Amino acid sequence: MIATVTKLIARRLLAAIPILLIVSALLFCVLRALPVDPAAMSLPPNATIDEIEAKRRDMGLDRPLPEQYAIWLRGALHGDFGQSIQFRRQSGSLVAATLPATIELALAAMVLAGLLGFGGGLLLFRLRGTILEPVADLASILLLSIPEFLWALILLFVFGVALRALPFTGEVAPGLPLPHITGFLLIDSLLVGRFDVFVSACQHLILPAVALGLAFSPTIMRVLRSSLFDVYHEDYIAQARLRGLSERQILIGHALKNAALPTLTLAGVQFSILFSGTLLVEVIYSYPGMGNLMVDAVRNADLPLIQAIGLTYCVAVLLINTVVDSFYVVLNPKLRVR
Amino acid sequence: MAFDLPRRSVLQFIAGAAASISAPFARAIAAGNDAATVGWPNDVPSWDPNQRFTPDAQPIFKAVFDQPLDQDPQLKLIPHLIKTWSLAPDGLSMAVELRDDVTFHNGDKMTTADFRYTFFERIKSGAKLDIANSMKKVQDIVIESPTKATMKFDSPAPTMPQWMAFLGSYVVPKNYIESGGLDNFLHKPVGTGPYKLAEYELNSRIVLERYDGYWGPKSKIARVTIQIVKDPSARVAAIQSGQVDCTINVPVREVQRFAQDPAFAAEINPITRVILLNVRADLAFADKNVRLAAHHAIDKAALSKAFYGGAAVPLSVLATPGTPGYIDDFTFKYDPALAKQLLAQSGFSTSNPVKIGFAATNGQFPSDYDIARAIVAMWKNVGIDADLQVIEYAKYFELNRGGKLPEATLYSWDNATGDPEIFSGYQLNPKMPFSPWKDEDIGNRVLGLFGVADYDKRIAGYRDLERYAVESGATMPLLQSVVTVVRKKTLSYTKYGNGWLLPQTLQWS
Repeated sequence: MIATVTKLIARRLLAAIPILLIVSALLFCVLRALPVDPAAMSLPPNATIDEIEAKRRDMGLDRPLPEQYAIWLRGALHGDFGQSIQFRRQSGSLVAATLPATIELALAAMVLAGLLGFGGGLLLFRLRGTILEPVADLASILLLSIPEFLWALILLFVFGVALRALPFTGEVAPGLPLPHITGFLLIDSLLVGRFDVFVSACQHLILPAVALGLAFSPTIMRVLRSSLFDVYHEDYIAQARLRGLSERQILIGHALKNAALPTLTLAGVQFSILFSGTLLVEVIYSYPGMGNLMVDAVRNADLPLIQAIGLTYCVAVLLINTVVDSFYVVLNPKLRVR
Repeated sequence: MAFDLPRRSVLQFIAGAAASISAPFARAIAAGNDAATVGWPNDVPSWDPNQRFTPDAQPIFKAVFDQPLDQDPQLKLIPHLIKTWSLAPDGLSMAVELRDDVTFHNGDKMTTADFRYTFFERIKSGAKLDIANSMKKVQDIVIESPTKATMKFDSPAPTMPQWMAFLGSYVVPKNYIESGGLDNFLHKPVGTGPYKLAEYELNSRIVLERYDGYWGPKSKIARVTIQIVKDPSARVAAIQSGQVDCTINVPVREVQRFAQDPAFAAEINPITRVILLNVRADLAFADKNVRLAAHHAIDKAALSKAFYGGAAVPLSVLATPGTPGYIDDFTFKYDPALAKQLLAQSGFSTSNPVKIGFAATNGQFPSDYDIARAIVAMWKNVGIDADLQVIEYAKYFELNRGGKLPEATLYSWDNATGDPEIFSGYQLNPKMPFSPWKDEDIGNRVLGLFGVADYDKRIAGYRDLERYAVESGATMPLLQSVVTVVRKKTLSYTKYGNGWLLPQTLQWS
């Protein structure tokens, strides 16, 4: 099994190279085609038109697009994604500074989405044929129709403003320090023994993670329920019943294992979407992650930074898919045989 | 002993958890008079204050760094690090005398060496700084003593005193940067301001601690946390729930709601920012009648009432009340009948409207898109059919450079100094990237004023220019913009005419 997974990862990593090249080229072309003037944006407001022209030449914006891309690619291969126009810092270092917060948020949200999705899916399945089925159905459709930013606002006003139960700005309470070791606040706070910081960070993580989790769980819920319906029509379920197994044993021991496979594939796709969904949620909760940085970059037409963040999202999605496929191989014996 | 450590850890964990659980909402109260949290819409672009001209970041920079000159709440230039200054009659030099009791946060004394380094040496070394642009006329800074120096300019620099208190003009420590390197400075910035930077997290928070060695009045609050909250609704929620003690730039309707709550003070303050229509001199606007009709058709008072609670002053010139370029006795009147008459002279009417393009941002400044839609309706009533398109602010310069802006564009222009050169001078200068109005007549008038060293002559020249530009239909000033502030009633601050909310002026009662 380990050999199969290793082969799969190696194959995926190799395939990632052309994908990343294509995505980076597409990103580069699309960004350059936008009617924005990075040269003007990078100069102070009292710069003259001549100075802006000089800056444009200095930034290489007067060269042919393929040449501009080649220059950028050469830099990127050496870890230089260009200097951010807005922050005048290396785009790579800005991404590195904000990525851990986004990863923490996305992972927390995914765990929640998984728990809610699987729990909700099982509940929906259990309620089949009862008078509660239409209500549960309606509830899942309602959940499905609310996007993450709306959940973010609803939760903020209910738990932050009305009940005042949870904090909703930043990553940790103002009076507390921010330890910097790995960049992952939850880990760093434990490493330095600041449990108060750890608890505060968890509190600040709750609302954004729940907002994202709630938005992405309904799809998992509904796919799990459909998969369970399909699985329950299989012969081995009928045979299990004939063997005298309880409904609970059938569901947990037989049906769920098989129904989980398509759900897991979908969860992988959902996680990729969820990762990009952090953007608006981070802005609403002032969470200092990469999504928040992306909004700044877009607002200021900071092309090098947009390019760096876009590529990071692409790498993240490829990695997530690889991990999910690896799990799939582990869980599905048929794939191991092949 | 083996038992003691885990027990201590467990107790520490419980205590920490309990403190943390109760902290978020009790913190403003628990912190007492020694701390305050401010919800701020934007982060600083960098901790090098000379690097980027970002108006929203100036109050934060002014807490950590000092400017050579300062402005009082009415925006009058006042001494600061510079005790006295004297601009030569020809505008080619400016003698300055610095205070001798100023220290940086690392204890180093601030001298003319730091002043020369900031405004001359750093720029000449090729560092990518926005002040390289504002200081491009500086030919040299001759040091006469640790407190006396003379700035030499290659051409008249009549607004140099204003620039000494404007964007990016903050004195930085020469020795600290040269010995420790720029990266160290960006990581641990050292200024001479009333607060030291205690902690910083990108896009999240800035923690300021009072600098006890400050040469000026000591700040009343020892620790100010600037919480970066970009979303306006989140800022409203943050002040409502007590997570911040004060915030700015919340929607006007929310200010009106907070004003009813006895726990809060809510204000809509007019500032030195103008909302205007930048116009072209060609296409349908080549006809002066059409331009003037478009201006006469706009009911500015109605716009102010509808979108700014009536607090935004209707403007007739590109300057705000109280600033040197403002003309009290000049009004460009709202007169839809006259607008119709002017259009009729050019063969247009409500049944045969003149068609124009109109661009506006959505969310760049409060109610921008709503204002644009209201203007479209006002124009329709007199016979102007405007095709409204939304543009990103970032696209403005590129569209203008390529001559692709439509006849009119809704725009907002900030000028904390209030000086007319930075209002109409910059807005109408054809060599600058702002105005789509490209015309030799007005262009030459503007360029001529850039070299006038005599203050009174310069101001008089700008007042003439402003009136002429409006009467020619070369620009359409609309409203004085506003900044909204919501704070706990017990937290006060000093109100500045340019909208600054300075951490060093915060005070609990």
